[in-house]
Amino acid sequence: MDFQIITNNPRVRDHYQGRFEVHYEELAYKALLQKVRDMVQSGYRLLSHPLSGSVKPNETPYKSVMVSKDHGMTDAESVRIIEECIAACEKFAELDRVWTDDVLDDFRMIDDTLIESAVVSACQADRVM
Amino acid sequence: MGKLRVVHYINQFFANIGGEEKADIPAELHVGEIIGPGMAFQASFGDNAEIVATIVCGDSWFNENMEEAKNMILAMVKDQKPDLFIAGPAFNAGRYGVACGAICDAVHQELKVPVLTGMYIENPGVDMFAKKVYIVSTKNNAAGMRAAVQTMVPLALKLGRKEPVGASCEDGYIPHGVRVNFFEKERGSKRAVDMLLEKLSGKPYKTEYPMPKFDRVEPNPPVKAMNKARIALVTSGGIVPKGNPDRIESSNALRYGEYDIAGIDDLTSDAFETAHGGYDPTYANEDPDRVLPVDVLRDMEKAGEIGELYHLFYSTVGNGTAVASAKKFAAEIGEKLKAARVNGVILTST
Amino acid sequence: MKLEMGYFHIKDIVFGSTSGLSDGILTVEKDTVSKIVLQDEKICSVTVDIAKPGESVRITPVKDVIEPRVKVEGRGGIFPGILAKVDTVGSGKTYALKDMAVVTAGRIVGFQEGIIDMKGPGAEYTPFSQLLNLVLVCEPVEGIEKHNYEAAVRFAGFRVAAYIGELARSLTPDETEVFETPSIMEGSKLYPELPRVAYVQMLQSQGLLHDTYVYGVDAKRIVPTVLYPTEIMDGAIVSGNCVSACDKNTTYHHLNNPVIRDLYAEHGKTLNFVGVIITNENVYLADKERSSDWTAKLCRMLDLDGAIVSQEGFGNPDTDLIMNCKKIEAQGVKTVIITDEYAGRDGKSQSLADADVAADAVITGGNANQLIKLPPMDKVIGIVDYVKKIAGGNKKSLLPDGSVEVELQAITGATNELGFNRMSAR
Repeated sequence: MDFQIITNNPRVRDHYQGRFEVHYEELAYKALLQKVRDMVQSGYRLLSHPLSGSVKPNETPYKSVMVSKDHGMTDAESVRIIEECIAACEKFAELDRVWTDDVLDDFRMIDDTLIESAVVSACQADRVM
Repeated sequence: MGKLRVVHYINQFFANIGGEEKADIPAELHVGEIIGPGMAFQASFGDNAEIVATIVCGDSWFNENMEEAKNMILAMVKDQKPDLFIAGPAFNAGRYGVACGAICDAVHQELKVPVLTGMYIENPGVDMFAKKVYIVSTKNNAAGMRAAVQTMVPLALKLGRKEPVGASCEDGYIPHGVRVNFFEKERGSKRAVDMLLEKLSGKPYKTEYPMPKFDRVEPNPPVKAMNKARIALVTSGGIVPKGNPDRIESSNALRYGEYDIAGIDDLTSDAFETAHGGYDPTYANEDPDRVLPVDVLRDMEKAGEIGELYHLFYSTVGNGTAVASAKKFAAEIGEKLKAARVNGVILTST
Repeated sequence: MKLEMGYFHIKDIVFGSTSGLSDGILTVEKDTVSKIVLQDEKICSVTVDIAKPGESVRITPVKDVIEPRVKVEGRGGIFPGILAKVDTVGSGKTYALKDMAVVTAGRIVGFQEGIIDMKGPGAEYTPFSQLLNLVLVCEPVEGIEKHNYEAAVRFAGFRVAAYIGELARSLTPDETEVFETPSIMEGSKLYPELPRVAYVQMLQSQGLLHDTYVYGVDAKRIVPTVLYPTEIMDGAIVSGNCVSACDKNTTYHHLNNPVIRDLYAEHGKTLNFVGVIITNENVYLADKERSSDWTAKLCRMLDLDGAIVSQEGFGNPDTDLIMNCKKIEAQGVKTVIITDEYAGRDGKSQSLADADVAADAVITGGNANQLIKLPPMDKVIGIVDYVKKIAGGNKKSLLPDGSVEVELQAITGATNELGFNRMSAR
């Protein structure tokens, strides 16, 4: 499969590890997007939209992003999108929330289904092409 | 709420002193006088507010002696203890608009007095001050005085009474980068249908959300033979010869400099410095190469990685510099670089 | 396709020993409604309540809002592919119970959101404060999977709405309204001089709690296609979208799509309302490219002069919106787009996560980050312990007098991107 998943969500790691390439790191939401930006600047292409889901960046700590497995020339559109996403993060106020475990569980699950929709699409594409 | 005390600022023309030939008069304080457009304002204010003083100032004098002018006028205004300060309206007069914007900004910042001015959307004062002070949108000449006063007075009273201000289209000011919610008469879908019908029939329509302006430039194809290329350095980081001989301003730069680095391998603190007022200059002054990487490019030149570092560099200060100025500098610098057969430019900013 | 809508104006809802509708009074037999909800074993209990405009009542966390309708003549039934069979709907006669709604509420996820205040400052920001609401608070069975719980609550809402709608079947409506869309060729013959306009509706389609269904098909898996506007009036599109209360489209919004209503108002007069193009908002970027390419292609194929494009949601969908706008404009079709904004609490941030100069005609539903103080209500229908968990609020949001400060984000329908409301921003 020609993609990898960059994630800070242990549920996504556990769900896909072994089947696909997954890079799991314990990073804050914005830091994860910055890691994706670093990769994009090094020539990895964005395959999923980093601002997936309507749960806002200052609510959920979890984010998974799909990028290409290989890297080539820097893709201008990927650069533009990831920069807009990081800028969008910054407009949300710090909420100082302390979530309980069951709420965090829910956020992990939502993020999992969001990236799952991208995985399904990516696998379909691979089967055809 | 008692009668608001208002100080009004106008230029020599609206004070009926004269035209261009009188644009150099310094600021004059007229206590207890209502002059020119002030009369229209006062008539509209009625009992709600009183213009207690009028300041008349020549546009050239203000623009050419800005620091001195601001200080002088601030002192005059402070003395009057106003609840509100109004400037203009300036319509499309450029220097007047800049003066109105600048003095309103100063009064608001230093004296914490609510301020209001008015000008035509294309007045350069709008670009410079719309985000800092409320500017009512007016027609482009004095025939729009009555309409301007009609819009400025209710907003002025709100500001003077420290009441909340509505959305830009509700209160008649030029959008200043802050989105404000309000309720329209019609629902969004109806507004959408109406707007589409206008767009389809070629009629003018006003978008409710103007897209941010991106001045996109198509990149040129890459430099073919880097080892033969002439590379030039250009910066908006303000690196200049020590002493800033061309007096490039630390903010809102009105000029750029052209400097020779023939024979110089490395910029040092005894020969160069930064003129930029928008960042801590310590590290740039310690080693100006940090902003203008002459040393690295000389190394690359010696190693044959680039053909040659062009012996002239161009510098200005990007801090609060008007877009129009930046475009002008770029066009001129571009021509010079082209004439000098430069193949590529490294542009550094901060 | 021609649909005659019949409207019943509901004046009051009361509980009684038999369900029925008479002279605008809807009587609801509570136990029957409970049984309909509990048909699904995944729901362990339900509270049925009524909230009326002007009452000091807060409903939270709101999942969906549904208008009761019933198909009395013509093919198919309400909510095709969901409750009714998949037969194509949108023709014949349909009745709707106006001025009321069925509201589902339930703790599907731990982070709560979706407030409807029936009175006070919050009431001004949601259209549902103006309706008589029959509220179903659904508690899940222990240990149930979230997917299943969400689906259970979703279907329960539709079943009750259908049950209530059914009560009007043999009655005579207070008023009727006819909506008709000719075929492509018929339409161009009938209105040769009028500009051809379509409505491009973008549907939320990203994952759990972010889904929309078209004749029961998950919108994630559709390719852009064309519908008759009247199909949507019969429930062809339903909501499985529960996140971001301010700009998610409830099923009520779909049934009463205001763009469709306002385009029909001009149909045959100032424009030819050709039809509806639906498209989605997937997470996978190549899906976005495909969908926007197809949407633009359909606009050109239908020989449109103009299109109104509405979106649903924040962030990711902004990219689809701009892609659609650019590509449709590039086909020579003029667009007006409808969106909402996240401009930060101070209103100074860039409102959308994407932008393009082609999007020069924008209608906005307002800034969702605006703070609002909601006073305490006498009664809360739903889950009481929500304050700390409500979207747009935090532990500092609960003020000493019991009022809560939240962003408009938390209020159901506040910044709707179908243009349902009058709120805007400049």
